[in-house]
Amino acid sequence: MERKEIYKQLEEIFCDVLDLDEVSLTDATCADDIEEWDSLSHIQLVVSIEKAFGIKFTSQEIMKWKNVGEMVDSLQAKNV
Amino acid sequence: MMVNTPTFALFFAIVFAIYYLPAVSRSARRQSVWLLLSSYAFYALAQWKMLLLLMVATAVFYGLGLWLQRLIDAGKSRQASHATTLGVCAGIGVLLWFKYFDFFASSIASLLGLLGLGVTWNALNLVVPLGVSFFTFRLISYIIEIHREHLRASSDPLEFAAYVSFFPSLLSGPIDRPERFLPQLRVPHPFDRQLAVDGCRQVLWGMFTKMCIADMLVRLTDRVWAAPDEQSALMLVVAALLYPIQLYADFSGYSHMAIGVGKVLGFQMARNFNYPFLARNVAEFWRNWHMSLTSWITDYVFMPLNVRFRDWGKVGMALAIIINLVLIGFWHGADWTYGLFGLYFGLFYIPLIVSGAFGKRKKLRPGWHGCPKGGDLAKMVANYMVVAVGMLLFRGQSLAEVGTYLHGMVANGWSVGEFGIHPFCYLSIVVMLILHWTQRGTEHALQLKPGRLWNHRAYRWILYYTIILCIFKFKGEAHQFIYFQF
Repeated sequence: MERKEIYKQLEEIFCDVLDLDEVSLTDATCADDIEEWDSLSHIQLVVSIEKAFGIKFTSQEIMKWKNVGEMVDSLQAKNV
Repeated sequence: MMVNTPTFALFFAIVFAIYYLPAVSRSARRQSVWLLLSSYAFYALAQWKMLLLLMVATAVFYGLGLWLQRLIDAGKSRQASHATTLGVCAGIGVLLWFKYFDFFASSIASLLGLLGLGVTWNALNLVVPLGVSFFTFRLISYIIEIHREHLRASSDPLEFAAYVSFFPSLLSGPIDRPERFLPQLRVPHPFDRQLAVDGCRQVLWGMFTKMCIADMLVRLTDRVWAAPDEQSALMLVVAALLYPIQLYADFSGYSHMAIGVGKVLGFQMARNFNYPFLARNVAEFWRNWHMSLTSWITDYVFMPLNVRFRDWGKVGMALAIIINLVLIGFWHGADWTYGLFGLYFGLFYIPLIVSGAFGKRKKLRPGWHGCPKGGDLAKMVANYMVVAVGMLLFRGQSLAEVGTYLHGMVANGWSVGEFGIHPFCYLSIVVMLILHWTQRGTEHALQLKPGRLWNHRAYRWILYYTIILCIFKFKGEAHQFIYFQF
């Protein structure tokens, strides 16, 4: 899947889980940039992303992400 | 050495004078070295016998960090995980040995005794190093952050040692995180007037809450807890209701002083309190109380657990939170009362998780004339009651003592005993709680918002002098900070 398409799908998931009207994600977007994105909603996001893309992240992958870009890198590494 | 004493003022004056000498303040390294020397002198003055432990622990973790970094750079992820586990175990091992060894040994001996095996344990009564719970957590987070690749290992041992032992937060926190603090040690800190002024105000506010509220309330709470079976129910209830305020005034007072001193030296330290009595449920309360500890445990315990339990839905989340809070409880000390303290709060999360209210952060919006809305206020009061009951487990020395206390609250008479608190203390509490509301959104109560009044220097100084005079006139007898024991 193209990086652009992944972002489009991620934005839909973020809006759904975080109850946002709209969100614009970039490689540099991190939890500090979105007020509703905290340690709890992060897990809900992970579960929703795993379901949507039909993949499973490892605990280490999840703990290492510093921003959305690294999350997308993990998704691409799983050939989504 | 207590932060609010003339001895500390003299110590700090010497540190300050040399730190900002032109020859020192031009170089980040010279300032770090001077901070390190000052921090070790500070620790030696408090407990010189344990200084060696602090130095050895720092040296071991410095070496471990470099080793871990080399493994990560070489792409040896399995060995890097082993090195991280070793570091975490070493940090926890220091804590377990000094703080919990007697507790575990005596608990096992009691258990074996219950099974009919006559085992006794003669307590080692080890001297607990001051600040051990704080500096070991700094060391552990350093190793984990390197492993998560959020940070590169420090190549400068003196810079790393200055981070671990930074004297304003060495004995009672806040627990600064390496990824935020180490970069601050890499740049020189010329005197920043604006930051220093804010720091002085924060120190002043911390002194006020500690000396005029905490040191005054302790007269009542200590007397009531000394013999709860002899107190009337009224005295027990009043002391229970006032204890969270005492603990807050004491610990946040210390934190404000530590953070303020750090600001005078040019550092932005981790925040520890964010007006916790405005919380409308226990989740909000713990997000705003002892924040540097709760965020540490959230990042390194709750998150990994929650990630692992993520397929179990709300049950997994509740389990992760309960484990999290029980650990926060036990962090305070080796006693079942602390474990139960954590469990008590953990159980209050369950309805929040089930209802879905846990993850939602509803902002406080002012109502009539800028006052809190009735519904919010009622929730704040109800949450305060929940906290006050939970704090009995924190304050009690044993489960039996807490049991006696609770029994007295329902069984004893309602006679009015002697409170021994100056009326000014009650006024101070009311002012502090009002400032909770009006100053929410600021880092501390004296972070004055620009406005017609505070733009005048004269009014600002009238306020400072009034607070200083109140401290001199109405302070209670000096008491050690409650969190020094942890």
